[in-house]
Amino acid sequence: MKVKGFLKDVGGASRVTKARLAAFAQASSTPVRTDPIGDVAREWHPGKLDMVVTEIRAASKTAKTVRFEKVGGGKLPPFYAGQFMVVDFPMGDSLISRPYSISSAPWQARQEKGFVEITVRRSRGDGFICDHINDNVKVGDTFRCLIGCGQFYYEPLRDARHVVALAGGVGITPFAAMAREVAHGTLDMDLTILYGSVASDDITLRDELAALEGEHVHIVHVLSGDEPDWQGERGFLTAELIRKYSAPDTTYFICGPQVMYRFLREELKKLDIPRRRVRFEVFGQAKDITVFPGYPQECRDKTYQLTVRRGIHEDVIPARATESLVVALERAGIRIETGCRSGECGFCRTKVLSGSVYVCPENDGRRAADKDFGYVHACAAYPTSDVVIKIPIE
Amino acid sequence: MKFYRDHYDVIVIGGALAGLSAALMLADKGKSVLVLERHNLPGGLATSYVRGGIEIEATLHEMMSIGEKNNRLKVGKFFDDMGVDVEWLKVPEAYHASLPGLEVTLHPGLETFAREVDGAVPGTYDKVLAVLQLCDRVFNSVNELSIHPMSKPQMLLKHPDFVKTAGYSTQEVLDTFGLPQKALDLLAPYWIYVGTGFRELPFTIFSVLMADYVGYGSYIPKKLSHEMSLKMAERAEAMGVQIEYRQHVDKILVKNGQAYGVRTARGDEIYGDYVISSAYPNSVYTHMIEPADAVPPEAIKMVNGRRLSLTAFSVVMILDRPAEELGIKDYSVFRGDTMDTDKLYGELKGLGPYRYLTCICHNLGNPGVTPEGTCSYSITTLPRVDGWKTVSADEYDRVKHQVARQMIDTMSEYLGVNLLDHILEIVIETPMTVAHYTGMWNGCIYGYAHTMADHIVARLQTAEAERFIRHLEFSGAHQISGDGMGPAVTNGRKAAKNVLDTMAEEAAK
Repeated sequence: MKVKGFLKDVGGASRVTKARLAAFAQASSTPVRTDPIGDVAREWHPGKLDMVVTEIRAASKTAKTVRFEKVGGGKLPPFYAGQFMVVDFPMGDSLISRPYSISSAPWQARQEKGFVEITVRRSRGDGFICDHINDNVKVGDTFRCLIGCGQFYYEPLRDARHVVALAGGVGITPFAAMAREVAHGTLDMDLTILYGSVASDDITLRDELAALEGEHVHIVHVLSGDEPDWQGERGFLTAELIRKYSAPDTTYFICGPQVMYRFLREELKKLDIPRRRVRFEVFGQAKDITVFPGYPQECRDKTYQLTVRRGIHEDVIPARATESLVVALERAGIRIETGCRSGECGFCRTKVLSGSVYVCPENDGRRAADKDFGYVHACAAYPTSDVVIKIPIE
Repeated sequence: MKFYRDHYDVIVIGGALAGLSAALMLADKGKSVLVLERHNLPGGLATSYVRGGIEIEATLHEMMSIGEKNNRLKVGKFFDDMGVDVEWLKVPEAYHASLPGLEVTLHPGLETFAREVDGAVPGTYDKVLAVLQLCDRVFNSVNELSIHPMSKPQMLLKHPDFVKTAGYSTQEVLDTFGLPQKALDLLAPYWIYVGTGFRELPFTIFSVLMADYVGYGSYIPKKLSHEMSLKMAERAEAMGVQIEYRQHVDKILVKNGQAYGVRTARGDEIYGDYVISSAYPNSVYTHMIEPADAVPPEAIKMVNGRRLSLTAFSVVMILDRPAEELGIKDYSVFRGDTMDTDKLYGELKGLGPYRYLTCICHNLGNPGVTPEGTCSYSITTLPRVDGWKTVSADEYDRVKHQVARQMIDTMSEYLGVNLLDHILEIVIETPMTVAHYTGMWNGCIYGYAHTMADHIVARLQTAEAERFIRHLEFSGAHQISGDGMGPAVTNGRKAAKNVLDTMAEEAAK
């Protein structure tokens, strides 16, 4: 190799050092505090916000819509139609969180006096927070909320322009948000909602949805109850019915009760739809964990000792075998951050230091390496022995 | 309730690669260490996420400085020494370069690489090998000097190539070899991993990059970069390090010019003899030091006198066909309309169209990483923060989709397959995503630009004078070794070494 003259230059190190010091000497000594990219990130994801209930209205004879605004007013963070929000409910000494699909539209949140709404149906005795919202929550109550979680939303680069939403019961809520956004002209797709209900006099958000119908929003009610006068579609959301409302290239979004998911998985198989065209909302907390494959039945009636480490602090609490670790923590008044409560989002990622747990197979959204090291998503993990866990300090 | 000990030897802000490397090294020397990480898992950008039941690599393209099991390079050796047992897979090629008039796949090994360049541009073997060998000598010198500093005359004697090239840019040195443009183009693709055009990029940095990647190849962890991050965190905890997730540090507490603790967003005040910050000096000196007047004007001048380097924009997809059915043949493809790096660097200032893209298909280095019948495919560009600083929260979604669409279209054209017809899952990672999850200043992932005015050799010379607050050290891409996951580990170790050296000096007094 022929060495050119400058390669013999040995003063390079001193020269670049002088250049650097010169640059600093010339620089301003006024602190530049602006971080505009961080500011946009914080506007989208401000963390938990203090919100106040400003309106409650009937969404059907068994469901209510609750409107939240920011305490002190103002714009709310942007989100995608179909996403959920997490609401923290103070219950005695505990704080219990629940995810609810936002039933209002993103554009409504971005107004000067922005709001978000959730629509909650009274339970059949198995959802005490749903009943609490229907019975006790009133205008002026305040809650801490995290807005804009989850992956259940229309993605134009991925999804077909024609969307068929398959909704069961109160599973209509994410689609109500989508319909509002489409009707407002801020979400560009064609939405047909096949909406399964039991009785025509108890359809959640029926009137509000009717007002949104138009060129790009179609609502098809499907009634499973026996009503002789009903003029519309009847029965369940069968393959045949779904085919009738599909375009050649359609993306299906599905949200409803767990029993509907099991039914629709089979129905959709009959239609030979590409995998990428089917999107299920998360499964929700298992109603009865003991029915899942591989659940150790001998544990079902037991209550175990759960040792909870936060930093160097340790508590020992009881944990029922049929309730998730999250429920045990909430019962004991120990705060744990949760999001989807379906094992997907990982907000409640927890290390199991010793003992064994059963992870709900429908709700195992863990990373491979996490599985190797005993991490679980506590909302989907059930104790099958005395257990020691470590969780973040909240 | 008491969650923290009364006192720690060292508090580390940030549980990503740099912070965890520092923690490992300090714990190895018997120090009590607390790591505070804002996210709920370790690793920062070295992480993964699950979409539709499929685990997806968030950022890692290829890890440098690992080396074969029996011949480790510095990062691989550090992991081995610390008992961080990552299952490494060797990336099959260096890269496939798709450049004007060139479609060439190049493999690691200096001679192999030179031979393959010669195959595409005949008659260049000797010169290309000479460039790579020069890079290798500079690389070895940098590695040795970073451990054993020496006097200038000694340096000139033992490390002449390093000394002689230190004052020159990559362009200036490459020009002396008289290589045809096409051969130069084939040597250029990795520039984006340091992100400065060749007229500004110190040859020292180019040397390290080429010698490490081309000479020794690159690696990925079998269970994605979360495996690496988690194994570091697990090992650190086993060595007695306390790691607390979801703890955002608001303030670094300073008294009489010396750091003595931190305060978290939760309000916990925690005390330690030393603080290591993975947060950018920009954040620390403008927002975090308490009291604010403990920040000397020189610290502000230093951050104002430097240029933030690159941020990241990636379109990460799971496609519904195996790679071979989509015409994806290489683990990594670097695609550019031009290889004029100065021009490309200029274009990175805006919001696209981005003409230089790097694409990774993990399945071709890690078979089975996604379910059968699918593959993962990511398209990345590394823009400068300038353009993204102008995007408002309301425009953000539109801009992000527009840029993603352009990148997908560009690669669809290249592959001859419309990728839009095959997307099973898609995640668009933006500078804002980086800012959200890691808190990095302006979403910048690469620290400060490597330039002739902010040269690694100069950084080494002036490092001592830039420790403005006693017992406060920094670790991360913003430190001497700069950006990338390998250098992150080196930067973390350097911070730990500074702490250990200061401890020893003060004990001696």
